[in-house]
Amino acid sequence: MLEIARYEAERRLSGSVIIAVGLAAFAALFIAITPEIIGEVDYEAMLEDLPPAFSSAFGLESFDSLAGILAGEFYTLGWILLMGLYMAYSAGSTIAGDVERDRMDMLLSNPVSRSSVVLEKYLSLFVPIVVVNVVVGAVIYVGAQVVDDPIPLFDVVAVHALSVPYLLCCAAIGLLASAAMEREGSAQRASMGVIFSLYMIEALVTETDFGWLGVVSPSRYFDTNDILVHGTYDLVGAVILLEASALLLVASLLVFQRRDI
Amino acid sequence: MPVIDAAGLSKYYGDTRGIEDLSLSVERGEVFGFLGPNGAGKTTAIRTLLGFQSPTAGSATVLGNDIADERAMVEARRNIGYLPSDPGLDGTVTGERLLEYYGSLRGEERRGELLELFSPPLERPIGEYSRGNKQMLAIVLAFMHDPELVFMDEPTSGLDPIKQERFDEFVRTERENGVTFFMSSHILSEVQKICDRVGIIRNGQLVELENIETLRSRGGKSVHLRVAEAVPPSAFDIDGVANLTVGSGEDPPRRDGTDSAEATAFSFTFTGRYNALIEHLTDFDVLDFTIEDAPLDEVFRRFYDGSAGPEPDDGTDGEESSEDVVDRGVS
Repeated sequence: MLEIARYEAERRLSGSVIIAVGLAAFAALFIAITPEIIGEVDYEAMLEDLPPAFSSAFGLESFDSLAGILAGEFYTLGWILLMGLYMAYSAGSTIAGDVERDRMDMLLSNPVSRSSVVLEKYLSLFVPIVVVNVVVGAVIYVGAQVVDDPIPLFDVVAVHALSVPYLLCCAAIGLLASAAMEREGSAQRASMGVIFSLYMIEALVTETDFGWLGVVSPSRYFDTNDILVHGTYDLVGAVILLEASALLLVASLLVFQRRDI
Repeated sequence: MPVIDAAGLSKYYGDTRGIEDLSLSVERGEVFGFLGPNGAGKTTAIRTLLGFQSPTAGSATVLGNDIADERAMVEARRNIGYLPSDPGLDGTVTGERLLEYYGSLRGEERRGELLELFSPPLERPIGEYSRGNKQMLAIVLAFMHDPELVFMDEPTSGLDPIKQERFDEFVRTERENGVTFFMSSHILSEVQKICDRVGIIRNGQLVELENIETLRSRGGKSVHLRVAEAVPPSAFDIDGVANLTVGSGEDPPRRDGTDSAEATAFSFTFTGRYNALIEHLTDFDVLDFTIEDAPLDEVFRRFYDGSAGPEPDDGTDGEESSEDVVDRGVS
């Protein structure tokens, strides 16, 4: 049981550590420069001059605290975009990559079902999610204390915990592309394209009359500003993301079961 | 009950034919050779029988399980080995790790024993393996769970002659123990060495089912010979010689204008005893002599024209690589 997941997880470990170290360095840099930003620039005035759609597109909501800048910049860029794209990219290679390189033949010559292959490969994507969240979460929490602008532990845990459903959903989009498409590269590009487009839709329409369009976007259900600045947690959003992930996973299973490899 | 039983099995990829109306059965303990030129549909047949792709029409059972029934096939694979011609192995892990992984999925009771016969460098990443080492690792993977039935697609491609011989010997021993083999090949001598019965596939269709003795007598060798001096064609009008062609075996004219030595070249298919041919050759001054497997296409042309099965109409048989046959079939 779960041998496939364990093997795949092992192969993801080194890549996950590299991403974690990179994002941790990025986080440390952010924390190091924010005291200056907060002290020297009058962002309140600047924000008032910007169109609301613009400032919300880039998550510029509150720039008078470390938590606000992290939520608006670091987490928007690092998590919602970068990590979302990375998960879609990683998931995009799972099935299509094995099929393309004839490894799926070898794997399916074992007494394993196609659904367990899809499910366990998906499970292995928890490795980057957990490693990156734990490492970067720790760096953020400790870093904030070092620069003397502490963020409550509960908030740091909440923002990282609530990012898990979001990242799972991005991964599930990649998984479906990977189960359906012939080539690893196309599955990766397609799923990254979808994630980016969905992000842009939500980012651009949110303050306009077309706000309803954003309901299809995973990023609508994970708002870092709400968590870090206002201390509100969108649990319903998290459930919606988990449901969407489950639906995409089931769709991937069905597609792959019917497919010739 | 047959170990493999296919009835009217067809697989099309859109308009492209993979296999068409394939019906055959393979009994327990049999080594069944599936012989045909490249592109004839051998790999498609194996991959369809393993359930990797669903048939367009027809049906088949493997070890009594319907190939279209995924759940049944998952169980059946506990007793099935699969050795593809170019195995897709994860290059980033070591051979050791991959064996451990597959062992955990399929069982590994014979792993140690197999590694004594076939010895890939387990501690190295598979990405650094030579073609032959990869094939050896794939052989261990295919047999380590002690399967009852093994599908092999061009199994000895990439193996050096000594390992090939060892593999043939291994297959014979396994057959004695009741293991059934379904093996594809485009090399006549390879199936002649280890198969009991041979199905010949051409353009996706099964053209003939033969036992190996019949095939051997029909196969023959391709002989190329160059002897000194002018020799009349009648000199090689002996038993077992067919399709005789005679040409000038002379070297190109020399630059200094002197005549090059006279010689004659003969090419023919030989189905008689070697000794008779060798004895006959002692009468001549032999300059050059090669003997090799007759290319499959030639065998087909000589024995199946008009007598069985459709003829190629699209030239796909041209893919048959006579180079391979020469390389590997020299006896």
